[in-house]
Amino acid sequence: MAEAASGGDRLFRSIAAAKPKLVTGVPDGMLARTIMLCEASPDFPYIACAREEECIGVACGAAMAGERAIVMVQNAGLLNSLGAFATMGLRYGLPIVVIVTNRGALADPNGYDIEKREAFDAGVRPMARVFDFDAGDLPDDLIPAAFKWAEAARKPVILALEKRLGAEAAA
Amino acid sequence: MSELSNLPSQQDAIVAALALYPARPFAVSDIGSQTGWLKAAGHDPRNLYVSGPMGLATSVALGLAAVRPNEQVLAIAGDGALAMNLTSLATIAGAKPSNLSILLVDNRVYEFTASVPTPTKDLDWLAVGRAFFGEAQCLRLSELTAERWAGVERPAMIVADVAPAPGKPPALGMTPAMIRAEFLGAARR
Repeated sequence: MAEAASGGDRLFRSIAAAKPKLVTGVPDGMLARTIMLCEASPDFPYIACAREEECIGVACGAAMAGERAIVMVQNAGLLNSLGAFATMGLRYGLPIVVIVTNRGALADPNGYDIEKREAFDAGVRPMARVFDFDAGDLPDDLIPAAFKWAEAARKPVILALEKRLGAEAAA
Repeated sequence: MSELSNLPSQQDAIVAALALYPARPFAVSDIGSQTGWLKAAGHDPRNLYVSGPMGLATSVALGLAAVRPNEQVLAIAGDGALAMNLTSLATIAGAKPSNLSILLVDNRVYEFTASVPTPTKDLDWLAVGRAFFGEAQCLRLSELTAERWAGVERPAMIVADVAPAPGKPPALGMTPAMIRAEFLGAARR
């Protein structure tokens, strides 16, 4: 029997299936495998940003030209970027897909992550559509579906990936 | 630095930088002064007026440059704005887009905020640009001709010392929907 793909591999395959013109991000441990696969992909550039707010800008630059762009950051990184998310992504109605590792879940209880998650719930969910997923069990059509939703809604969409109890390793 | 009274206006510096290109580049301007003066310099569908946080124009321009590799892209940033997104210079230097340049207009004040001095008013922006992009890729606008600019490898940065304006530029007069629709049309041509 073929070995099951890791969550990181499945996320990459779903990203590739959406045919983005650009992927950008700042690493998180849960995203490391996907980022390495994106960097090696001949099908789209991966732009490694020094800071998460830049990622929102980079993706919005691509989206202003009508192209599909994906951001990958940790929840604390999106919190750093809310001004850009609001004044570019929401204000211009840009259908970017933002993949966020929502650290601090019940199965991911690092002390330094707890407040990030609480701030994500308090600061991000009221202003944007967030769909939540088990990082270890991602649907194959996740990213194509996310673009379809964002393009129909004419606004960004956030996919919050978290570790769940009893699930396989996410990365 | 030159005497302030001898410096060009921000609008004139933008006009001069755009004139360095044989064909109109995409111009991505930061919110506030740069957007206002870019529009005042002459509206063009290839202008992308950024409404995001100060300093984001360089990042937006990088994304645009990545998806339009056969087009030239010029990000227009003020000194106060670029200081808020200085890390974008590291990202751009790492990404090495062969079609992206930055025009840094240095008036040493936050023009849209009662002209409060910027913390970078004494910073040597030429040295900053050269640290990220190399000596041959960061030049003063006053030293450039179209011929010389054509031979400069990208990513590159142009530093323009400009005079603080006596007032704000005219209002943009465009909604986000108008900006997006018009720019989208230009970017798809």
